[in-house]
Amino acid sequence: MESQLKSVGKRVPKVDAREKVTGRAIYIHDLKLPGMLYGKILYSKYPHARILNIDTSKAEKLPGVRAVITGFNTPEIRIGFMKDQPVLKKDKVRQYRDEVAAVAAIDPDIAEEALDLIKVDYEPLPGLFDPEEAVKEDAILIHEYDAKGKPLKNNILKLPWRLIAGDVEQAKKESDFIVEDSFRVTWVTHCCMGTSGCIALFDLDNNLTIYSITQIPFLAQNDFNAALKAMGLKGKNTRVINTVIGGGFGSKLDTHVYEYIAILLAYRTRKPVKILFTREEEFFAQPPRQPAIIKISQGCKKDGNLTFREVDMLLDNGAYTSWGATTPSVMMVPISSLYKVPNIKYTARSVYTNNIYAQAMRGYGNPQATFAVESSMDILAEAAGIDPMEFRLINVNLPGEITPQNFKVTTCGLKECIESVGEGLNWKDAKKNKKKKRGVGMSSLIHVGGGARVYKSDGHGMIMKVDDFGKISVITGAVEIGQGSETVISQVAAEVLGVFPEDIQIIKGDTSICPWDVGTHASRQAFVSCNAAIMVANKIKKEILDIAGKYFNVDPENLDIKNRVIYLKDEPENSEKQMPLDKLLRRAHFSKHGTMIMAETFYDPPNEMLNQEFKGNLSCTYAYGTTGVEVEVDTETGHVEIKKYFAAHDVGRALNPMLLEGQIYGAAVMGTGYALTEQLILKQGKVMNDNFLDYKILTAKDKIPIVPILVETIDELGPLGAKGIGEPACVPTAPAIANAIHDAIGVRIKDLPITPEKILKALKEKEKKG
Amino acid sequence: MKKFDYLKPTSLDEVFSLMEKFGSNAKLIAGGTDVMVLLKRKRIFPDVLISLRSVPNMAYIKDEKDKIRIGSMTTHRELETSTVIKEKLTALYDAVINLGSVQIRNVATIGGNIANAAPSADTACPLLVLDASCLLISSKGEREVELKDFFIAPGETVMKQDEILKEFIIPKPSKLSGSAYWKLSRRKAMDLPILGVAISLAMNEDKSIKKARIGLGVAAPTPIRAFKAEEFLTGKFLTDEVLAEAGNIASKEASPRDSIRGEAWYRREMIRVLTKRVATISFKRANIV
Ligand SMILES: Cc1cc2nc3c(=O)[nH]c(=O)nc-3n(C[C@H](O)[C@H](O)[C@H](O)COP(=O)(O)OP(=O)(O)OC[C@H]3O[C@@H](n4cnc5c(N)ncnc54)[C@H](O)[C@@H]3O)c2cc1C
Repeated sequence: MESQLKSVGKRVPKVDAREKVTGRAIYIHDLKLPGMLYGKILYSKYPHARILNIDTSKAEKLPGVRAVITGFNTPEIRIGFMKDQPVLKKDKVRQYRDEVAAVAAIDPDIAEEALDLIKVDYEPLPGLFDPEEAVKEDAILIHEYDAKGKPLKNNILKLPWRLIAGDVEQAKKESDFIVEDSFRVTWVTHCCMGTSGCIALFDLDNNLTIYSITQIPFLAQNDFNAALKAMGLKGKNTRVINTVIGGGFGSKLDTHVYEYIAILLAYRTRKPVKILFTREEEFFAQPPRQPAIIKISQGCKKDGNLTFREVDMLLDNGAYTSWGATTPSVMMVPISSLYKVPNIKYTARSVYTNNIYAQAMRGYGNPQATFAVESSMDILAEAAGIDPMEFRLINVNLPGEITPQNFKVTTCGLKECIESVGEGLNWKDAKKNKKKKRGVGMSSLIHVGGGARVYKSDGHGMIMKVDDFGKISVITGAVEIGQGSETVISQVAAEVLGVFPEDIQIIKGDTSICPWDVGTHASRQAFVSCNAAIMVANKIKKEILDIAGKYFNVDPENLDIKNRVIYLKDEPENSEKQMPLDKLLRRAHFSKHGTMIMAETFYDPPNEMLNQEFKGNLSCTYAYGTTGVEVEVDTETGHVEIKKYFAAHDVGRALNPMLLEGQIYGAAVMGTGYALTEQLILKQGKVMNDNFLDYKILTAKDKIPIVPILVETIDELGPLGAKGIGEPACVPTAPAIANAIHDAIGVRIKDLPITPEKILKALKEKEKKG
Repeated sequence: MKKFDYLKPTSLDEVFSLMEKFGSNAKLIAGGTDVMVLLKRKRIFPDVLISLRSVPNMAYIKDEKDKIRIGSMTTHRELETSTVIKEKLTALYDAVINLGSVQIRNVATIGGNIANAAPSADTACPLLVLDASCLLISSKGEREVELKDFFIAPGETVMKQDEILKEFIIPKPSKLSGSAYWKLSRRKAMDLPILGVAISLAMNEDKSIKKARIGLGVAAPTPIRAFKAEEFLTGKFLTDEVLAEAGNIASKEASPRDSIRGEAWYRREMIRVLTKRVATISFKRANIV
């Protein structure tokens, strides 16, 4: 097969790249509908306050204003994982970004002016900004009632995360070395180039169409239909149409308050209403990555074999629930299954505070948990007197293993990943002939690589149809958020059908046209949609060859398609038994009682939902990888420079090495930002750095010498062997850098980001201790 | 964003008459890279913007016998690509090559950087240590103000309502002298300094210091000179001890504060570290054999 692959494995440029770089792609920012109004949102002035009164009379009178809505003059829509958030707040505000009113006007400036005319009277309440204060029994309550109206006693969410495997207490007794540490990770945000926005409109039958940038169109349809029901429009339907999306990274995995506000405004005005975030809103009104305080303890035997891992976490949930509250479900993956650890105990609590609430962000909890696990791995290795790379190899995951969380490891290239990164860094030499202020460090990762059953279905629907010219339309539920699934779907479909990737056209982004897909998340899209593409392309191919078989009067089994031509396998050179694909298709179409060739499929990967104990084979294969860096630390300024960066990933098969490397480059920069420079700074619940000057993502000038290493393990269930790669590469970066810094200067920074200030403080502490 | 008029006068006289007409309701705009940010963030509310872009003869670098004159409308990109700046005003060169990004440098001007009077203005420290003066003109005439006397507070300068900044006058550095600027920032582009340190040294033949200038950015409400440290250095040889002490003195002269961009203690500490480093670079550039 290998040598015969024509499209798969090739460095095919992203099919949407040229449209984007030439400015032709139509983003939500570009879209304008006739009669469209512009919506703007009024946010809270306090992090915690009672709303006494909202006076909108002046705003309503401003010329050009078409509607002013509040929680008092609209039906209540409750959203979020625990339905604890009303779209428009009317009793209390619980965070600065709480939406208290909204305006639709004929232009954005008027809408903005109208916001200034809305008068809200508040009675400020004391705020809770420290999760460790918020968990206390006597803490003031942020939510007095749950979604069902039942009184709440404390701020702790009723989401008890608890995973137990083996016997941790016994294992502690049997350990020769035990380490215990506490780590902290803070808010970082997605920084999508395209800010958030949507256009909502109703038809005369009160069905909703929403132009959207969601990465989960079908779940969004479900959410919006629930909102229609709350608005008294039971039985009405939503059509979600995607525009080109300017970046996702998890930020579009939930439906958001602004979308519901656009829906309410559109319903009120009977006009299309567009809401488009400013960059500042994107920073303060778009939920970031989940922060956490992580206590971790691990033990091992003298020979280095891990005995147990115990982790307890406190998550600052913020004021309402979105997916951030559920990130422990993925934090469990590395905690239970990165390296062989027989005994596991993991507990996590989420607590309401008056801070911003969090959501999914690339890795879904995994970067947070891996920072703690992999920092602790180095600390334990040092305690046991074992080289950190050696220590990892002693405990490395191997094919065939069943992990304490009941993950069934099929293919696993972790060993190769660790070894190739070690080679790249010249690990042994770097350790033996250690240079001053220079250090090496590594960290590995495990992530779901074959979908993740976090919803009733992890499925993907796809339709294919072939036209009279041999061109193929692929109608897919997949959402392209920059990862390149359209390109690899084209490659895989072309491979199966014996045509070229440019013969494939991807039709997508419309819930009324495309079949169902659970969404672009969990690094699953290439895995599920390419598997679907193979299934449906094989159906199409069979239909074509059946017709060709009749025509040539041969067994269709003996026919195949190559370079758009149908030929006889035994006599590939026999031009008598050849026919261009398009010609055959026309013949089929225009014959008596003609035929159109089309097919559909629904692929749902063979994975399991976690059970009550949070165990089960969540994914049908797992992705592994290792990142290793060499750093140099300026011990006077605290500045860290990354001298070398190797990222080895078990990708199953590189369907398109160029796109894969792109995922790794981007993730490495994102991971390095998480490690060193990025953080949303909150003061008493307020985001202080809502701009790119003060929120420091790295730039092209902060060159990181990233070297991707692709390890191919050819997974049996993967499409032509491939596994997911969308999230993995940003997971191990921060601990790898923290470990390298420790190697360089002997101080360990346990909270992110690792700023120069923290490094200097730690160096001073160390000096003091002597 | 508030609505405003945008006026584009084509002569200085026209600029002055517009300034008179609109008074404090007008705001001058050069490259606009500070003004537009302030407007969008609702920090200023002018009725009119008066652009200096169409006024002729405002952008130049004149290499005269003992002076270098830089027109206020000269962009950072023009400075960056000028051999005069690169060879003779090395501290300024250090500043402009790392200011914002190429896109910003293509429009942002040196006059705007100084007139905006941010404590973080990257060209301020280099101009301070190069003994630059500002030529201010109005319909009534012109006056020269030394840059060290120019800044009053963040965003505030000695410029009067009817004055504009015409040019910077910089004495040509003497033969045995060198200057450098260090911008300490979190990333390598699109960033303001957490701290900026510029130093120029004029040396005697015996390698003792004839004249020292130290400029500190983000170390006080305005860019400042560290006069005491300068005085301390005068006549001394650049030993590790002397450098360390100069750093200590400069650090004491500063009054940095805590902000989301950096903590005061860190800035103070970095003044010590960078004074040493920047002085060493300046000394090397003085090329004494
Ligand atoms: C993305 C970005 C990155 C940046 N990076 C940096 C950086 O790294 N370092 C740095 O120091 N700055 C930086 N800045 C700030 C800004 O670019 C500089 O201060 C720039 O030099 C301002 O020049 P300008 O011509 O754009 O000034 P403008 O914005 O046009 O004007 C600035 C101020 O000066 C006044 N003014 C302008 N010209 C005159 C004149 N001739 N006479 C009197 N008053 C005048 C204006 O009225 C206004 O108050 C950055 C800005 C942005 C947007």
